[in-house]
Amino acid sequence: MHIRGVIKILGVFLIIHSLGLLPPILLSLYYHDHQLNVFLITLAATLGSGLIFWLSFRNTDGELRRHEGFLVVAAFWVVLSAFSGLPLVIGAHLPFADAFFEAASAFTTTGATVITHIDALPKSVLFYRQELQWLGGMGIIVLAVAVLPVLGMGGMQLFRAETPGPMKDEKLTPRIAHTARTFWIIYMALTFSMALAYVIAGMTPFDAIGHSFSTISTGGFSTHDKGLNFYHSLPIEIITEVFMFLGALNFSVHFLAYQNRSLMAYLQNPEFKVFAVVVATIILICAITLTMDSTYSTFGESLRHSAFQTISIITSTGYTTQNFAAWPTFLPVLLIFSSFIGGCSGSTAGGIKVIRIMLLVKQGYHEILMLIHPAMVHSVKIAGRIYPPSVISGVWGFFALYVAVFIIALLLLMAGGLDQITAFSAVATCLNNMGPGLGEVTVNFHSLSESNKYILAFCMILGRLEIMTFLVLLAPGYWRR
Amino acid sequence: MLGILLMVFSIAMLPPMLVSFIYLDSGFDSFLYAFAIILIAGISIWLPVKNARRELRLRDGFILVVAFWLILGLAGATPFFISPKLDMSFTDAVFESISGLTTTGATVISGLDQLPQSILYYRQQLQWLGGLGIIVIAVAIMPMLGIGGMQLYRAGTPGPMKDSKLTPRITETARALWYIYLSLTIGCALAYWAAGMSLFDAIGHSFSTVSIGGFSTHDASMGFFNHMPMVQIVAIIFMLLSGINFSLHFLAWRSRSVLHYLRDSEFKTYIMILVVVSTISSAYLYYTDRFLNIGNAILSGVFQTVSIGTTSGFTTYEYYNWPGFLPVLLLFTSFIGACVGSTGGGLKVMRFNLLLKQGMREIRRLIHPNAILSIKVGGKPLSDRVINAVWGFFAAYIAVFAIIMLILMMTGLDQISAFSATTATINNLGPGLYAVANSYEGLENVAKWVLCFSMIIGRLEIFTLLVLFTPRFWRR
Repeated sequence: MHIRGVIKILGVFLIIHSLGLLPPILLSLYYHDHQLNVFLITLAATLGSGLIFWLSFRNTDGELRRHEGFLVVAAFWVVLSAFSGLPLVIGAHLPFADAFFEAASAFTTTGATVITHIDALPKSVLFYRQELQWLGGMGIIVLAVAVLPVLGMGGMQLFRAETPGPMKDEKLTPRIAHTARTFWIIYMALTFSMALAYVIAGMTPFDAIGHSFSTISTGGFSTHDKGLNFYHSLPIEIITEVFMFLGALNFSVHFLAYQNRSLMAYLQNPEFKVFAVVVATIILICAITLTMDSTYSTFGESLRHSAFQTISIITSTGYTTQNFAAWPTFLPVLLIFSSFIGGCSGSTAGGIKVIRIMLLVKQGYHEILMLIHPAMVHSVKIAGRIYPPSVISGVWGFFALYVAVFIIALLLLMAGGLDQITAFSAVATCLNNMGPGLGEVTVNFHSLSESNKYILAFCMILGRLEIMTFLVLLAPGYWRR
Repeated sequence: MLGILLMVFSIAMLPPMLVSFIYLDSGFDSFLYAFAIILIAGISIWLPVKNARRELRLRDGFILVVAFWLILGLAGATPFFISPKLDMSFTDAVFESISGLTTTGATVISGLDQLPQSILYYRQQLQWLGGLGIIVIAVAIMPMLGIGGMQLYRAGTPGPMKDSKLTPRITETARALWYIYLSLTIGCALAYWAAGMSLFDAIGHSFSTVSIGGFSTHDASMGFFNHMPMVQIVAIIFMLLSGINFSLHFLAWRSRSVLHYLRDSEFKTYIMILVVVSTISSAYLYYTDRFLNIGNAILSGVFQTVSIGTTSGFTTYEYYNWPGFLPVLLLFTSFIGACVGSTGGGLKVMRFNLLLKQGMREIRRLIHPNAILSIKVGGKPLSDRVINAVWGFFAAYIAVFAIIMLILMMTGLDQISAFSATTATINNLGPGLYAVANSYEGLENVAKWVLCFSMIIGRLEIFTLLVLFTPRFWRR
């Protein structure tokens, strides 16, 4: 174990992260909203701790191997969430549990909030929340595209070959740097064009930038209590839908499309096709049910709301324009279930990921065929590529652990006094990094107890780190040697 | 084959007739008619094909097993349907009968205490017969079909094994297991009687205890006997015993030693899970002041855990009104269910065990990516084939669960009732929460049919039924 190297790299992360505090500081100066000191203190604390970490282990050979990757990734999210919560503790006088929850929610691009009067917050703090989600999204892309495949998380080793960048060895650093550069350009381009589209559709530049930050990262924070309903505008909803969808696609595919200057890359990608079909199906189910139930007066209106809500939830963004928790019969639960599918691998979305669901379904069907022809030899193929058994069993293990963690967290929340519907939806929404739930947590998580907030913050990080990264750290075998 | 089955089943109408005769109640006619109807149906299915002599093969096994529950479910509904006393709709009658035969124990009848004895007896007997069928299917047929990794057990079952002919194997196994089943039932009935139940209740409850069913002859279920703690203890013991793999009972009986139990890894996990959950339940009950007396808290905690963990579904107190997370914890325990080769439902302890081990292996594989790790149960390494089958089973279970729950919500059920109703039926447990806590009477007809399906698919270990839906199965 290379614990010194891990601390050193954390120091570097903190130093880089402290740069993220500069924009809120500038905003605070510009708007004179009295938050300057808050951000300066945070800057000092973050930068200071980062420097201390880094300086103390400056001379360690910083080459990190696969084994340390787990610890770095887990520490990254926990430590940065804790530091990012500071401005909320100092400025907004939130209890630490609330601040940690809010920061973890921002950083994992979940979008669940404990703050009740968002409109009343100072502009710089508002911007800071949105920015955290955006930064979290950046981290996630690198994590999902470059780091997790190397770690071999839940069958994701199969993406190793697909990612650009040097691959031969198991050294993490050069690979991450290279990937980061490529993908961040795409990420920024998407954010920029989105902000522009918002402005054209009539948002103020401040809101446009803020919302583009949280849309592309499939986060779901808003600068208003009413969220996107503040604008009540169809064009804005459509822009949001498009970019949520784009944010939930595999960034490697965006990269390919950009490299070849053609949209064929999307159509050739099996995961994209399945994702599109799933989204379309759920939208239709919702729209038809809403129409039959006459929740909305016209089919057009039903379609509009179900399209927005479905995309928002399945991509784990979690914007709400309609109170979907009050939709008739099975729709709320259907939507929550759909967030378990989540977006594509290598995106900022949460959930189990479409490619894993595809593998599970294919393998499940094969099991049935095997019952009919017990001697049959089969292999799971997607788009002509054969997936080895080690990948499949990785996916199975991932799925089972997902379910197990879900049940344990659900029981813990209920033991902490929540009712079943609230607990069910709170765990689902946090584990899938989505945002809003049902019951008590439809709008925000303010009313929960401290211990429940910690459990949910933990769920968000667990879900974001694809569960196993974290569980590995709990295995005694990891620390031996 | 099915014709014979029906004819045999028609004999099951005779004991209730006898009971009716003894108690001079009004059920006699219904059972007489039912007897005639089922016998005639059986003969008319059997006669046209009686000369078709053909050994049943693997593929026919699937159809046979599915048909067993479907046809008997319908046949078993006849007395309910025609009984003037009950005045049940066709849907309700089928629901009750399937719930009995799959040993689920969910009921649509309220006012049990006022029913004629013969009908009460018939309900209990349905569960007992269902249990009988389940044992044979679980021990002899499922391993042959290889459902959800159960090919593992092929070698472990008594009886001739070499070829894939079903008939000789089934008869041989059936005889051995039925002796065990019968002696357990007799033992249970005697124990209940000694503990203070009336003879009628003792026999009735022993039927539904040994079959892990959960029907009772009283509306209050086991709660009727709350003043007799011995009854609860007897129930706990026999539910525990019936939740164990019957092959294990067979081995223990043959070699006259209990060592077999202790050596079996599934048995150990089974006991461990129940002990842990019982402890949590009892402690939580005591801690939240549900019971002032610690003895009562322990007894109720253990009873309810064993009853739900083994998927029997007897209740002493209204557990659905228990505080906080207990009902949900207990419902989740029912997913694990009883051991393979028992009358219990759920995923089965063995599979749960394998899933745990495999989950650990995946984590170890992340730490040592190049290590070759095999999963062992009782010292024997398992093939990937078996493990994949268990995974597939698990995923299918969850998928079916989610779909059924959504359909139930579509019929207008609230989330908690839908969740618990699906859990209670797919695991063959019985009682749920909220709208379905006491009886399933208030549901829509559609919902009842969906739940019937859910009970059968749970009992058939999902895949047996899913296989029939694939076009490949019917080709050739």
